Amino acid sequence: MTLIETVDIKKDYRLGETVVHALRGIDMTIDKGEFVAVWGPSGSGKTTLLNLIGAIDEPSEGQLFIEGQEVALLSDNKRTELRNRSIGFIFQGFNLIPVLSALENVMLPLQIKGAPFSGARKKALRHLDEVELSDFVHHRPDKMSGGQRQRVAIARALVTDPSLIIADEPTANLDSDTSRKIIGLMRDLNEKGHTTFIFSTHDQRLLDQVGRLVRLEDGKILDGGDVK
Amino acid sequence: MIKWIKIAFRNIVKNKRRSFVTLLAIATGFAAVSLFRGYADNTYWGLRQMAVRGEGLGHLAIYKKGWLKKGKIDPDKYMFSQKEIQRIIDLVEEDDDVILATPQIHISGLVSNGRTSAIFLANGVIPRDEKIIKGSWAAFRPVKGDVLSDTRLYGVEMAEDLASHLDLKPGSDAVVMASTLDGQMNALDIEVIGVYDTGSDATNDKYIRVPFAFAQSLYDTEKADRVVVLLDDWKKTERARTLLLSVLSGEGLDCEMRTWNELSLFYSKVKGMFDMIFMFLFFIVLVIVVMSVVNTMGMAVIERTREIGTLRALGLKRRGVGLLFAIEGAMIGLLGSILGIVLNVAVWAIIRAVEPTYIPPGVSTPVSLIVNLVPQAMLMLAIFLIVLSLIAAILPARRAARQNVVDALGHV
Repeated sequence: MTLIETVDIKKDYRLGETVVHALRGIDMTIDKGEFVAVWGPSGSGKTTLLNLIGAIDEPSEGQLFIEGQEVALLSDNKRTELRNRSIGFIFQGFNLIPVLSALENVMLPLQIKGAPFSGARKKALRHLDEVELSDFVHHRPDKMSGGQRQRVAIARALVTDPSLIIADEPTANLDSDTSRKIIGLMRDLNEKGHTTFIFSTHDQRLLDQVGRLVRLEDGKILDGGDVK
Repeated sequence: MIKWIKIAFRNIVKNKRRSFVTLLAIATGFAAVSLFRGYADNTYWGLRQMAVRGEGLGHLAIYKKGWLKKGKIDPDKYMFSQKEIQRIIDLVEEDDDVILATPQIHISGLVSNGRTSAIFLANGVIPRDEKIIKGSWAAFRPVKGDVLSDTRLYGVEMAEDLASHLDLKPGSDAVVMASTLDGQMNALDIEVIGVYDTGSDATNDKYIRVPFAFAQSLYDTEKADRVVVLLDDWKKTERARTLLLSVLSGEGLDCEMRTWNELSLFYSKVKGMFDMIFMFLFFIVLVIVVMSVVNTMGMAVIERTREIGTLRALGLKRRGVGLLFAIEGAMIGLLGSILGIVLNVAVWAIIRAVEPTYIPPGVSTPVSLIVNLVPQAMLMLAIFLIVLSLIAAILPARRAARQNVVDALGHV
């Protein structure tokens, strides 16, 4: 069942007098439950594509459908609600809120949604347990290692039971051992929970563990655009 | 809402130095305004007491209609007869808020010690009523010697400087001269039984207090030019004026009234000056608070741009981002006000302990610098500063909320 569909998506940026064509017509579909890696060299358009799929950016041309809804037709508030309800984000720099503990960070998307405190707490604790951080729930991000922070970010992305998790270079700031563990964890969560993962990387070692590879270069898909 | 308050509070604590400087600016402003307000409050109280009790103006003065404009030209026509005086007193004292209604007559003339003479202004009062009007003020500015008495018709109280100019002391005799209402020259012996300080340089060399019957005798009349009314609370003055005017008018007594603050020019001028200084000070504090909060929140928005992007990506609406920073601004206002209250109370306690004195312009004796604690005014000021800080935070908060999510996430 199709979760994401892009139709001839283009994205241009203006840098002074110059127009940069970040994406030059992307046609791609992603089904529910897939584990997809977008890879390619720096500047190939990986982050731009993920930003568009994550509904935090708008294409210059083309159409994007998430769960059958055309994103361009949604108001800013509706798009924000869509992100909160259906999309989880894992950032390269973890992007945890520094003044909140691990538990409070994980609870945050639920509280934004308006979930009651006790329910949000219970669910956040369960997801922290899932990423093996039960002993660190009251630690603030600055008291945790990079790998621990990324696991908090994964728990935060999972807590709303989204249909899609987007991870932009999730292992770029981690050593190779921690990177392998994080990708393993994501893979595990994908297989057990059937959550769709789409992440970008240019780390060749990680690509071996991925079911579907989408290769980008100069803003175009070279291969892997269609579901196998 | 609690989570946003928690985040706002922790961010304030996180940036200790910057937050402290901002809170200190608000607290200092709060304390400055509040202390001045407390000082003004005490000064207004003192001036009010001086006018109502010290000058013996009471809260209201009732005149026959036309007295204020034409009374000097034809006093006899615009003075109350004995019958009218009694009728007015009876009607006025029916009001539960009225403590006392008493007739008075203001006279002027020359006072002589036999060698030199000086101009005097005198207030003819009923001694037992004057005692009630003076109340606790009598202890604040005691009369040296004896006070007016219903049984000593020629015994008068004289202002200190006037007595000094004429070399008169309690127990000295003198003569007063004035024109009667018919225009005849009249002179009466007086005995200075007491000397008092009016509290003002302008009046201390002119004033005399005489028994009402003595003043009538000097002017050769049985009339009074006013009926002074003392209320149980000065705040009821305007209400009493409206009510009593309608009662008297309903009984066919055409009167006009002046309140104590209308009669006390000194009070009005000082209050006007203090109000102006207060507004000036308040405006300066307002500018400091707005600039401090805008600066602090502006820097917070810049520093936390990535955090804003993250929150937006996680599903926080623009309104929510704005709310987060607005709460932070309001909390800075709240904490600054709390610190301001602490500072205010500390300075107040020091002033109470040190008891400094000063001589204000136009006043003949040193007065204590007293600052009142006015909880109601402090609460209003705190609410005002909280709302002001919230409004000052709205501008950077709106800027934060409008940021593009991708740009915010990419901010370094």
